[in-house]
Amino acid sequence: MGNKQTIFTTQQLDAYQDCTYFTRKEILRLFYRYRDLAPQLVPLDYTSHPDVKLPYELIGSMPELKDNPFRQRIAEVFSEDGEGNMTLDDFLDMFSVLSEMAPRDLKAYYAFKIYDFNNDDFICKSDLEKTLNKLTRNELTEDEVRMVCEKVIDEADLDNDGRLSLEDFQHMIVRAPDFLSTFHIRI
Amino acid sequence: MTSYSHGGFHNPAYHDSETLEIDRRYSRKTDHTNPYAREEVAWRGSNNRTVAEHGSMIQTVSGNDSPYGGWQEENRRGRENIPMGLISTQPGRTPWQNDLNRSTSYSNIDSQYNPSPPGPPPSSITGKSTIRWRGNTMRRMSMFPNTDPAYAAFTENAIKNEMENEEQNLVKELVPLSTRERIQAIQELPMSFEEKKHIRSQVLAFKSSNQSRQCTCFTDCSENVSLFFRRCGYAIRSTKQTLGLWQGTMKEIGGKFGTSVLSYFLFLKWLLMFNIFSFLVNFSFITIPVLVFEPSPNTPANVTFRGLELLTGAGYFRYTVMYYGGYSNETLHGLVDYDMQLSYFFTIAVYMALCVFVLVISATNSFKNNYTPEASASNGAWQLLCSWDFRVTNERAVRQRKNNLRVQLKESLSENSYSEQLTLSVRLKHFGIYLGFWLLSIGLAAGCGASIFFLCRYEEQRTTDSVSWTLAQEAETLVVPFVVSLMNLVVPLFYSLFNKFEHYSSQRRKVYALVLRNVFLRLSILGVLCYHWMNVVSKKYSCWETIVGQSLYRLVIFDFMFLLLGSFFGEFLRNVIGTTLLPSLGVPDFDIARNVLELIYAQTLSWVGIYFSPLLPAIQILKFFILFYLKKVSLTRNCQPPQRTGRAAQMQTAFICLLFFPFFVGSLSIVGYTAWSLTPSTQCGPFKGLNNTFSVVAVWMEELEEIPGADWVIWIYQRVIRSEVFYFLITIIIIIITYMFWQISQGRKELIGILKQQIVNEGKDKSFLLDKLQNLQKPNRSNKRHKQMNTEKHSKRPEDHSSGGPSKSNAMFQALLARQQLEEEEERRSTDGVPVPSDISSSSALTLAMMARQRAEGQEEHFTRVSDQHFSQSSGFAHVTQVTQRSGGQLTDGYYGAPEDLDHPTSSVSSIMMQVMQARQRAEEEDRRQWAPAHPQNQAPSGSSALIQAMLARQQAQNEFDDGY
Repeated sequence: MGNKQTIFTTQQLDAYQDCTYFTRKEILRLFYRYRDLAPQLVPLDYTSHPDVKLPYELIGSMPELKDNPFRQRIAEVFSEDGEGNMTLDDFLDMFSVLSEMAPRDLKAYYAFKIYDFNNDDFICKSDLEKTLNKLTRNELTEDEVRMVCEKVIDEADLDNDGRLSLEDFQHMIVRAPDFLSTFHIRI
Repeated sequence: MTSYSHGGFHNPAYHDSETLEIDRRYSRKTDHTNPYAREEVAWRGSNNRTVAEHGSMIQTVSGNDSPYGGWQEENRRGRENIPMGLISTQPGRTPWQNDLNRSTSYSNIDSQYNPSPPGPPPSSITGKSTIRWRGNTMRRMSMFPNTDPAYAAFTENAIKNEMENEEQNLVKELVPLSTRERIQAIQELPMSFEEKKHIRSQVLAFKSSNQSRQCTCFTDCSENVSLFFRRCGYAIRSTKQTLGLWQGTMKEIGGKFGTSVLSYFLFLKWLLMFNIFSFLVNFSFITIPVLVFEPSPNTPANVTFRGLELLTGAGYFRYTVMYYGGYSNETLHGLVDYDMQLSYFFTIAVYMALCVFVLVISATNSFKNNYTPEASASNGAWQLLCSWDFRVTNERAVRQRKNNLRVQLKESLSENSYSEQLTLSVRLKHFGIYLGFWLLSIGLAAGCGASIFFLCRYEEQRTTDSVSWTLAQEAETLVVPFVVSLMNLVVPLFYSLFNKFEHYSSQRRKVYALVLRNVFLRLSILGVLCYHWMNVVSKKYSCWETIVGQSLYRLVIFDFMFLLLGSFFGEFLRNVIGTTLLPSLGVPDFDIARNVLELIYAQTLSWVGIYFSPLLPAIQILKFFILFYLKKVSLTRNCQPPQRTGRAAQMQTAFICLLFFPFFVGSLSIVGYTAWSLTPSTQCGPFKGLNNTFSVVAVWMEELEEIPGADWVIWIYQRVIRSEVFYFLITIIIIIITYMFWQISQGRKELIGILKQQIVNEGKDKSFLLDKLQNLQKPNRSNKRHKQMNTEKHSKRPEDHSSGGPSKSNAMFQALLARQQLEEEEERRSTDGVPVPSDISSSSALTLAMMARQRAEGQEEHFTRVSDQHFSQSSGFAHVTQVTQRSGGQLTDGYYGAPEDLDHPTSSVSSIMMQVMQARQRAEEEDRRQWAPAHPQNQAPSGSSALIQAMLARQQAQNEFDDGY
């Protein structure tokens, strides 16, 4: 590796390393992945903080995301503008949260946001229905969808307000140890 | 409205600050059960803070020109609240002055050391990115849906301020942390990268500003050094990643087959690493010295390499360093003296100890991370929200997963009704089936063990203890490992077959039953073999350790071959049959449980053999390495991901525990037994001539006695290792510690139960209070109207205002409302002479009452209404407070308009006021209770008697107050 790379300054790399769960090498690799999505748009020199944003169409076409039913939500949640268009920082942020090193609470927080389709800070019935439809390709009858949603709320809603708050969700995550390994995208 | 303030004037006692104490007490009380009240109070506090900041920092003291145009009144109220100590009603928060100081100091620092524009401004509330600020801001937002635009505008400003404060608090928190902790904390912030960077730069700027004050060469140096070490750490981490084996393959497998299959491969990789480690230990401390001093094995002249040795491990191999017999008991003299006896003993001992350590650590870690007390309780929620595998990137796999999930969801829906339908006879039938199949499985395992026992005996009679075997003799030794491996391959198939006939309520149980049976089988076979080695072989052969080592070598080799065969027949042929001949069978699933058990078994063989054949890990490495690629190919070609994705993490924990408990502990005890109790062979090996292996330590101690500096070693040996008292003490201490931890865990369990109950209760409270709040909002509005209509009339009655006067405490306020209504009604009655049945329809009891007696009717009506309100009030006090404050804003204004009245502290009066209130409430409670049977004749007097009580109490208060003056 050496110190020959001129994409970032040392300070930039330090900041990236301090704020994400990546090592310097991974950051560079992620940068190249990012750049490969649109080589003509992304410059090879990031020392001057260029304002580059890749549209969602490009981000969503990454092999890691392209078959994920939640890809649009993931991109929306992590992008600064909420539309799925990502800067390099957003991009690093996303894969940092989805990496192996990220702790459970952080993952749970973002997973909650991903499932919270209407951004009202609660997972309500409509969010669950959307999740369910994304996960089962609309093959359940309406009745079944309703029953599943009711069951989920019944099981996970601790304070009986008919929707899942972040606390409810975190509580559920604690009891689902698989979540840590499944909410993970390897780069 | 004005009349109220007048009332306040006339009765200054009600404005004394102690009265407010009531208010405070109430809000504190509600804090415990009612989260909303706390939110609300905190919210109010933040309003005040905002105003105060604007007042003192920006120095725009002109009150009415406040920047919150539409919300002037609220502002004014907020400001006027401050001297009344509303801020002190928020016990959980730090006093606002502190925040203020902090924020000013920070803004100075920012301007000094951080010339770059401070991060993205926390802009609109509707923009989603701002909601990334830590949880509480977000929750506060959702508390107040944007019903009122003016209110929203105010909210926005308050939140902006709140967020700035929070950010500064955060920076403040981060500054004193060590570098490593700080980085961790920053990484864990649920914010976007920009915000994190902003926070980081602020923290660094603050830090450097602190240091610049005391800038010495030393701090500069230490900063540089720490930076250097940090960069080193990063470099080490990245090289570790580069060295990681099979990264790409793992990603591919995870992408195609999901986490559960991946866990098998991770386990395989872990075992491989483990074996590499054990090989390195054994090779470097036992084998290398021997190889250095005696490069060629001392084989007898007539033994040559024939090729069959690769399978049997006998013949030529017998005399090499592969086995125990290949090592000598000499002390090797070179640069340093190297005692082979000691090195052999201690290498094995340390290796075993390390194994215990590693296994215990990984098992407990896994247990800690994955143990869930009642996992099955939230199955549906888990399936929907946590089970999606974000790793999966393959389109086909995604489709399959979706299908599986759909099937599972449907099943779990039908399961609910299914479990209820089970009758006793069906249950009995199921139980009978379980019992039958369990007996059958255990019988099978025992049968296998017995047949192995007889086979071993037979074989032992045929073989002789000669230097070299003929080819036929050598080939005969292959029978036992062949049969053992065949059993290990075939019997589990029967078990799987049994499993199909049983009806397990959950998939997990099914898998665990299967695994348990397989474990029984393997343990019984291994147990019989070990018994044979320890009791028969050890007495017959002159160099029995080598013979045992050879048997283990054969077992390892045959196990490997059968693994290959198993994946060929089990997976490849099954795939061919499933896709071409019998399409109904379909493509086989990858059976994780069976495969993992095979790995565990293989590892156990290597552990048992470590004493007899120290280089067995080398074979194991080769085996696992090939197996990895084989399984990978077989998986991608022949298998589909398992249809039921159980909880992989829990399975993994179970497997690690299995690996530790029966298998590793079993092999450890076998090795330990060999070392302590069995006589080593007299002809060969490092321990020849000793009574048992352990006596090598005694010999060493004797040698040490001659060396002057080694007294302490001897002391330890004599007093610690050889003394029963020591072990006795250790055992007792461990038992005590275990008991303590057990008790602690019991206590925690109870605590968890209580806390869970508390959560449920709070939820109930919340929904109950919310309902009440909604119900109350309507009547309150109508009350207000009534009041406005009747204020003039009421002003004629100073007595009434005395009851209204203290209503800085809103309980009194409510009481006043009720009271007014009563009087209003009375007044109407007196003027019109006819009762006005405005609320007849409100309760049927009332209608009955009206029929019975028209004159009582009016009173009744009001009593019921009054009591209704007060009933809810006693439970949801803070809410009522909020509602009334908001809805009856003018009224409060009226009272707050005369703040000078508040400065009359007469404590005794306040306590009397409490009494009045309670009496009042009691009166109305009583009323309500008595109304239920709808007996109007009796009610009127009793209700009035309660009222009289209240009146008396008030009278007393009045007197007391007069006395005070």
